[in-house]
Amino acid sequence: MSTMLRICLIAASVLTTVMMMNKIRRSRVQIEDAIFWVLFSLVLIVFSVFPGLAYWMSDLVGTQAPSNFIFMLVIFLLLVKVFSLTVRLSQTEARLRELVQKIALEEMEDGHEK
Amino acid sequence: MSKLLIVIPAYNEQENIVRVVGELADHYPQFDYVVVNDGSSDGTAEICRRQGYHLIDLPVNLGLAGAFQTGLKYAYRRGYEYALQFDGDGQHLPEYIQPMLDKIQEGYDIVIASRFLTEKKPWSMRMLGSNLIQLALKLTTGVTVHDPTSGMRMFNRGMIREFAQRLNYGPEPDTLSYLIKNGARVAEVQVRMEERLAGASYLTPINSAKYMVRMLLSILLIQNFRKRG
Repeated sequence: MSTMLRICLIAASVLTTVMMMNKIRRSRVQIEDAIFWVLFSLVLIVFSVFPGLAYWMSDLVGTQAPSNFIFMLVIFLLLVKVFSLTVRLSQTEARLRELVQKIALEEMEDGHEK
Repeated sequence: MSKLLIVIPAYNEQENIVRVVGELADHYPQFDYVVVNDGSSDGTAEICRRQGYHLIDLPVNLGLAGAFQTGLKYAYRRGYEYALQFDGDGQHLPEYIQPMLDKIQEGYDIVIASRFLTEKKPWSMRMLGSNLIQLALKLTTGVTVHDPTSGMRMFNRGMIREFAQRLNYGPEPDTLSYLIKNGARVAEVQVRMEERLAGASYLTPINSAKYMVRMLLSILLIQNFRKRG
């Protein structure tokens, strides 16, 4: 694992954290959603500060190089995030549909009563 | 109209809601209350309507924070001075409402019904969690809250306005930490609490662990970056 990669990981995690904190400051994001990114940044920092961990885990799962292990881990975490976001988007759309329909139906029923 | 509105968020509480609200309505008519049905899939809303309870019926499930906020929006619009968060599962005892009201009228922003103000905290996994959150609050605010996870809390008019209008104001210990840091005055009143009457608690071991991670990260890290207003 090269020094450059370690620097990149640290920079990326610091940037992620700063951006997320900024969103929280301005009340643009819910804390529940920020927690994933804070943990994600922590994982990146841990791997860049303790590269030995990446070597050890790389040996364990049999990837060619420690950097490959980190890429794999990042891809995996992002896949999980994309999946959970898809689920939430579906749920949000379903609820929105339900709400719009409820409002429209109730307005129509109110209109009839008058 | 009373000065106080009791907000009772209820999600699938058909077994308990009649006993909880019935007691409030029969024995404590001096206080106004409102049940916020959080899109329950059981008969909670129907029972409330049949009994003639004051009910806000959410068409979809918003979770505790969203349901509670609905109640506080109502309290804010109607001009209530104080609002009480009160569980629909029978854990909270209405006999402690008046002492809390007396306490908050001494000029506090938030009054917490605390199981461990004068009583000792027993040893269990759940209380270990309670202690960790208490420690995190102490570290970030310098204030000792003996029962930070107590779900029975009373808020004054200023707090009602904030909870009603803003994002990231869930009725949880991390919001408490943020508010105390911003100058909110908090007091506790010693109470006894019951076990929930019927039905399963949401707090399975996995959910409890998730809750702990979320609260500790939020209190120790995230809340420090929030700006008020």
